[in-house]
Amino acid sequence: MITLTAPAHGDGEFTAPTPNELFDLAPIIPGVEWFTKPVLLAVLSAIIVIGLTWAAFSKPKLVPRGMQNVVEYGYMFVRDQVARPFLGKDADRFMGLLLTLFFLVLVWNLMGVVPIAQFPVASHIAFPAVLAISIYVLKIYLGIKHQGAGGYFKNMMFPPGLPKPIYLLLSPIEFLSNMIIAPFTHAVRLFANMFAGHMLLAFFSMVGFWFLFEKLTPLGAGVGVVGVVMTIIFTGFEIFIQFLQAFLFAMLASMYIGGSLHAEH
Amino acid sequence: MWSIPSYLLAGMAIYGGIGWLLDRWLDTSAFFPIGTVLGLVLAGYLAYRKFSR
Repeated sequence: MITLTAPAHGDGEFTAPTPNELFDLAPIIPGVEWFTKPVLLAVLSAIIVIGLTWAAFSKPKLVPRGMQNVVEYGYMFVRDQVARPFLGKDADRFMGLLLTLFFLVLVWNLMGVVPIAQFPVASHIAFPAVLAISIYVLKIYLGIKHQGAGGYFKNMMFPPGLPKPIYLLLSPIEFLSNMIIAPFTHAVRLFANMFAGHMLLAFFSMVGFWFLFEKLTPLGAGVGVVGVVMTIIFTGFEIFIQFLQAFLFAMLASMYIGGSLHAEH
Repeated sequence: MWSIPSYLLAGMAIYGGIGWLLDRWLDTSAFFPIGTVLGLVLAGYLAYRKFSR
């Protein structure tokens, strides 16, 4: 892999790692510009997800054991917490999509704390943006298919149960929120969480590395210990956030799909 | 429930934008903040009506 921590600056002063050092990575093979670490990890994550589900469900047994047991827990979680609350009886039709989304985003995120990999794929906005745009296209397609072009926009912009004159004020908000802001926040929520989390982890591990190994002084050692302890605490916190964001991403996708399938009453 | 932030953003963007345009047109500076707050209130009302059931 490339550098594990941000490079030391060499002038004897501690400086926090900058976003450029952390996220603007050089190509792994010199000359192949597009093949950077996040691309490698994204491909690797896809292979991991395919391998996991293959190992679990290629020869499913009625009484699950081993790998099938573990992945089935993930399936049940996605079905009961993500799909069913928003899709109801249509949940099973979309389980393939939602399960893939959840597992893929989860593995992407967990790459941020896996030693050696240590880079959350979603901290480059292109990756969540592609997923969010796919969901956005699917949402509009399903909406027009199930409610008709006019009906879809009418149901979206005029939610029932409001006093008539208010629609004039609220319809633009509904339209902008559903058509432009929602896919944007869908991607940015995941991106920003992973970006900030990676920055935090890099900063605290840099503090620990610098004050304990690069420049060990009696006064600085305490700071270094704090850095190491904070790195450990924040790694645990990051794992929680990474799981939560993967869940939220799949849940929002399910919510958008559900909103397109049935008009709100 | 998780789409409330996008409602609030959309409300501020729409009515703040209208206020900003009014300000440019009438050469004032009051409509932009008024529009932003109005949009926030309207979006909050919309979110309240949609999600409080």
